[in-house]
Amino acid sequence: MEISRMINFTLNGQAAQTDADPSTPLLWVVRDHFKLKGSKFGCGAGLCGACTMHVDGAAMKTCVTPIAAIADKAITTIEGLGTPEDLHPLQAAWHEHAVPQCGYCQSGQIMAAAALLDANPNPSSDEIDAAMSGNICRCGCYPRIKRAIQSVSENALAYDAMAKTEDGA
Amino acid sequence: MNTVNVSRRRLLQASAVTGGGLVVGFAFTGCSSAPAPLPVASTEGAWTPNAFLQVLPDNTIRFYTARSEMGQGVTTGLATLVGEELDVNPLDMDIRLAGAHEDYVNPLFGMQGTGGSTSIRAHYTQLRQVGANTRALILEAAAKDLGVPTSALTTDNGNVVAGETRHPYADFINTAQELQIDADAPLKPTSQFQYIGQETRRVDAIAKATGTAQFGIDIDVPGMHYAVVVRPPVARAKAQSVDVANAKSMPGVTDILEVHSGVAVVAESFWQAKQAAAKVEVQWESMPLEAVDNDTLRRDYAAALEGGDGVEGPNEGDIEAAMDAADVTHEAEYWAPLLSHSPMEPMNAVVRIEGDEADVWTGIQFPSAVPGLVSRVADIPAENVRFHQTYLGGGFGRRGSPSYVAEAAEIAKETGKPIQLVWTREDDIQQGPFRPASLMRIKAGMDNDGNLLAWDAARAGADISPDTFRGLLPALYPWMGDGMVEGVANLSEWYFEKFATDESSTEGLFEDYDHPNTRVTHMTVDHELPMTFWRSVGHSYTAFAKESMIDEMAEATGMGEVAFRLQNTQNSPRLNNVIRVAGEHMAKMNPPEGHYLGFAAHNSFYTDVAEIAEVSVENGKIRVHKVTCVLDCGQAVNPDIVRAQIEGGVVYGLTAALYGGLNLERGAIKESNFHDYPMLRMNESPEIEVVIIDSGTNPTGVGEPGLPPIAPAVANAVYKATGQRLRSLPLQLA
Repeated sequence: MEISRMINFTLNGQAAQTDADPSTPLLWVVRDHFKLKGSKFGCGAGLCGACTMHVDGAAMKTCVTPIAAIADKAITTIEGLGTPEDLHPLQAAWHEHAVPQCGYCQSGQIMAAAALLDANPNPSSDEIDAAMSGNICRCGCYPRIKRAIQSVSENALAYDAMAKTEDGA
Repeated sequence: MNTVNVSRRRLLQASAVTGGGLVVGFAFTGCSSAPAPLPVASTEGAWTPNAFLQVLPDNTIRFYTARSEMGQGVTTGLATLVGEELDVNPLDMDIRLAGAHEDYVNPLFGMQGTGGSTSIRAHYTQLRQVGANTRALILEAAAKDLGVPTSALTTDNGNVVAGETRHPYADFINTAQELQIDADAPLKPTSQFQYIGQETRRVDAIAKATGTAQFGIDIDVPGMHYAVVVRPPVARAKAQSVDVANAKSMPGVTDILEVHSGVAVVAESFWQAKQAAAKVEVQWESMPLEAVDNDTLRRDYAAALEGGDGVEGPNEGDIEAAMDAADVTHEAEYWAPLLSHSPMEPMNAVVRIEGDEADVWTGIQFPSAVPGLVSRVADIPAENVRFHQTYLGGGFGRRGSPSYVAEAAEIAKETGKPIQLVWTREDDIQQGPFRPASLMRIKAGMDNDGNLLAWDAARAGADISPDTFRGLLPALYPWMGDGMVEGVANLSEWYFEKFATDESSTEGLFEDYDHPNTRVTHMTVDHELPMTFWRSVGHSYTAFAKESMIDEMAEATGMGEVAFRLQNTQNSPRLNNVIRVAGEHMAKMNPPEGHYLGFAAHNSFYTDVAEIAEVSVENGKIRVHKVTCVLDCGQAVNPDIVRAQIEGGVVYGLTAALYGGLNLERGAIKESNFHDYPMLRMNESPEIEVVIIDSGTNPTGVGEPGLPPIAPAVANAVYKATGQRLRSLPLQLA
């Protein structure tokens, strides 16, 4: 008889378990087994960030994270960050700054940005670049992504003031 | 249910003449046979005056967007057009993605397709007219119901206003559906626009920021199985022998079968299918393409240019005499490599076949292709194929080639299971269809005063249109046998090789400047790699050649890049104005030490764009700090989306300018994923400023025109920084 290999974790605050093969990447367990489709498949190699979720609060590329590695950990997906009725401040900023074009990479972008701001509420421009450079956007939304992140950082007022000075120059 | 359909059909038949109870100066239906029922949700008590609009009893205004939303903001744009005249705020509409139906054709294509930066241009008058006529019917119905003249009524965001009282449009839909109008309602003058030209948000931003926007890959139907196809390393090779022993015992695997493009592995999850696919052993047939290595393309193109045996395109004046008479002549060759589109969402489709009916869910630029293609593969009537459009996770031309729908249908038919087919990123980068490589040679002549006199331009490379045509033919003409499809496709290839220039191959190489003597020659050199449209198509490489050559000529005159361009674009006043305004911006720029400004201008998709790239070169690495874009695209329906499209074109074009290039080894693409086919990332992305000139004309394209000038603008800046003229893409310093 096969030994049960159930893996337990929390998914967006709810207890969850799966008997999928332990080598299965977290992305596919969340998409195909739990049917949460907001996290995307882009490269399957941890190179583009479309699959980014939070694992115990840190941004992780889940297309290369086997579920064996997330046992007993807390997973947050874009669905757990906010909803259309109850937007996370970053999601509201994405709307306000008209960030998304095709939108496919944006779940991953927002999850990476949220982990950044949780760890560093006042990121510099270079720190934003460093935190976000694992996420590819083929539509070229980078300038807007950066503006949206800055708008919800604790430095937002300072960034606003800088923008005004630049406009005036 | 039946009654609803019959009444819809009746409405549709009326639409052949009137546009569904409306006049609208566009013929919506062209066939003599009864048109298919509208693919719109049937909602109890709703009024569906035409294929685009539905008014629900709770006053929800539903808008069916006929063009594919691949990020370009067309959903917001089209909703703005119809909302302007219907008097409904586009952000308040319930927006749906339209299925496949003849009323949704792109008026500029004659088929249901999205591309060529046409959408706003194509629907600008049509959808405003649909909105105006629908509003006129509502007003007429309100006048009847309220017993007042229409002149006593106005509208305000989905309400009829009678004096102090507001009545939702929905109050009048029962009366409205009995009415017809016999002339198109007048359209608003632009001075009265309240939504067009405003900085509204995007209608899809919240869905896309919350992970709730549905892409093709997010579709999940009961019993769905997942398919991955093992594909040949060399294009179009067929399997000679297949060993599935190791693959079929892998967990979750249910079926392994040969399909037209390779060997399909079907499993209970995508991951299982992908793991098992790696265990399939295939002997592929040997192909002539295996003799082609990376250098072969350029060598063969150079030989073709040298041989001079091409198809003559535009030929004005006397090029030989003008070149002889010129005071200054200059000649150079420019290279652009093979590229992949690589949208973030890999190709995918869900197909479910039950009896002689099928459902297809996918994001596609050519919905017209779906019913025919699935009908052909599954051997069922095309009218029994229901197409469900989703958001497209990027298109860039790639989602105009529908082979992935055919694959999914083939697998669903063979296995009897609902199938989601997903391409891997490796499939995406290695299989194409590609943006063709190009070798371009331009010889230009001018007088001592800097007036261009002669422009002799040639391009060698593969054509784009015949391959795209080959892919769409079986879909558009399902009655054609495979042999006939092959024959017609070969005929079109031969035609472009021998008799006519495929416009996509040379567009942008010669049109923008005033040279009375012009000759364009095209040499088709086809190594049988699959090709298709890639964002801005021919302009993606011709602008690099043309604007580099113009910069070189300008330098020879010593008159400055802006002055030279102004002097030589007198016959293109809108382009001339864009260059002038961009030149004024450039003159005010004060780049820090070590930063250099490069300039380029280009007309594509009827839009004029000039770009200034601020570039530095540090340790042999090209760094683009800021890009300023000045454009005239006529009426900007949503200026913020115009800016976003130009920003996107710049970033997409910069990736190609700095990194893009697929390499061939024994006929196979060497690159496989984003580690060796890199994309521009946030830390390399420049600040981008977009300046929109409103010339008051009707809208022209914005999805693509931001791209062509960026590579030459950067190359021209690199020349100033280093003295090196980089004439090959991607830009690499010696």
